[in-house]
Amino acid sequence: MTADTGAANATVGRDPRVTLASMHDFPRGNVVSVQGLTKRYGDLLAVEDLTFALDAGTVTGFLGPNGAGKTTTLRMLLGLAEPTSGEALVFGRRYCELEQPAHQVGAVLESNDFHPGRSGRDHLRALALAAEIPQTRVDEVLKIVELTDDADRRVKTYSLGMRQRVGLAAALLGDPGLLVLDEPANGLDPAGVHWLRSFLRSFAETGRTVLVASHVLAEVAQAVDRVIIIDRGRLVAAAWLDELTRGGQTLEEVYLELTGGAS
Amino acid sequence: MKAQLRSELFKQRSTRTGLALFGAMFSLVLLAVLLHGFGLAAENVDNTSEQLMVFGRGEFLGALFAALLGAMSITGEIRHGTIRPTFLVTPSRGRVVAAKVSVSGLIGAGFGLAAGALAAGVGTAALRLRGIEVRLDSGDYALLIAGGAIAGALWAAIGVGVGALVRNQVAAMVGICAWLLFVEGLLVGDVADVAEVGRFAPGAAGEAISGQNQDTLLAPALALVVLTLYAVAAAVAGSLATSRRDVV
Repeated sequence: MTADTGAANATVGRDPRVTLASMHDFPRGNVVSVQGLTKRYGDLLAVEDLTFALDAGTVTGFLGPNGAGKTTTLRMLLGLAEPTSGEALVFGRRYCELEQPAHQVGAVLESNDFHPGRSGRDHLRALALAAEIPQTRVDEVLKIVELTDDADRRVKTYSLGMRQRVGLAAALLGDPGLLVLDEPANGLDPAGVHWLRSFLRSFAETGRTVLVASHVLAEVAQAVDRVIIIDRGRLVAAAWLDELTRGGQTLEEVYLELTGGAS
Repeated sequence: MKAQLRSELFKQRSTRTGLALFGAMFSLVLLAVLLHGFGLAAENVDNTSEQLMVFGRGEFLGALFAALLGAMSITGEIRHGTIRPTFLVTPSRGRVVAAKVSVSGLIGAGFGLAAGALAAGVGTAALRLRGIEVRLDSGDYALLIAGGAIAGALWAAIGVGVGALVRNQVAAMVGICAWLLFVEGLLVGDVADVAEVGRFAPGAAGEAISGQNQDTLLAPALALVVLTLYAVAAAVAGSLATSRRDVV
């Protein structure tokens, strides 16, 4: 699945609606399917019997308090951690069984997964080499995240917001059908958050899927159409955003009620 | 696998870590050989085995720094978190470790070659300047340099394996240094019964490959087999551990 990369060249400037490669044939239906997923660390049940699915073309907010098990769930989904029981499938397979994972899934788990002495461009190059992605694509993703001018500086000189964008650029290298982001707005300024939201919307409009974990509700509410809320490792809600807020409540009110955070 | 090799090679080229290690190794080889070459009393460097011991500092430091390079290739990724994107792109972790072993081995061979050649060259020059006859023949030189390269390659693989098992960068590097600089010295030290076993230790095997101290150590060919077994064992253990453990 080589990306039709020409379209991704669109200049973004202050208009955040990035034109991505036109959608061809990412499988419809369940892009992510999590079934009875459980992770136990000694006596601690980090994730307990979690079941949910993501449809293509949606942006799903994965919400929960700190320590609720969001990151653990994502790590199992991405093959970095082994479930104690249950399974997590992407495009119908375990992540480790994907033939070209970078072309199917792009993920950012931490905002600072860089060697401080390597430039942003070289970080992307190393990953592109491993994924057999042409180096021209490195320039394209740098342009998408508006980092072309700073790409040759070492990462240690980058702000947190810039690091977030290099991370996002790495996730986009393979022009994937699913984007998994953990707290992507940390360190972004208001314009950056606005840009990110618009980016995620336009990404999903091409038929692709986004799963974005966050505990900052304000940044999420405006970008997502579905919400999955977990608390202490267990699913407490999985619904369309407009269903949850139908009674006139805000997402924050619903969230606090469901996670027991309401005073 | 080719893609992972290219990626690992590029990772090594795109930071200054390798260069810094090489620079440190180069300086230490110079220091050690100059000190011994000029500092030792003439009657302590006038026979073949004593001269081999001085020139052998190249092999020793080459192996040490190759091991550190190998260990850093994986513990550095764990420390800085790049291991996550690395494994996201290549979920087959065994393949990543194998690529690190290969690339570190290649660079480690370069380290060993450079260190061995530098030590032999500078050592020879130092002795000649003092008017001490150099007793080594071309076969000895070839063994010093080729043995240094091989020991560097194999020790780099051991370093990757140790790094994959230990994961913590400081612990892995301190462990490698403590082993090579201290423990090995005890194992092939003055106690003959200990040395009987200690000569099978990996550091001693590395020295033996380059022809040093053949009275106590193994013959070069046998040492090559022994050190290869260590390298394979370390790489396999590191690969298995990396594949089975969760990435934090």
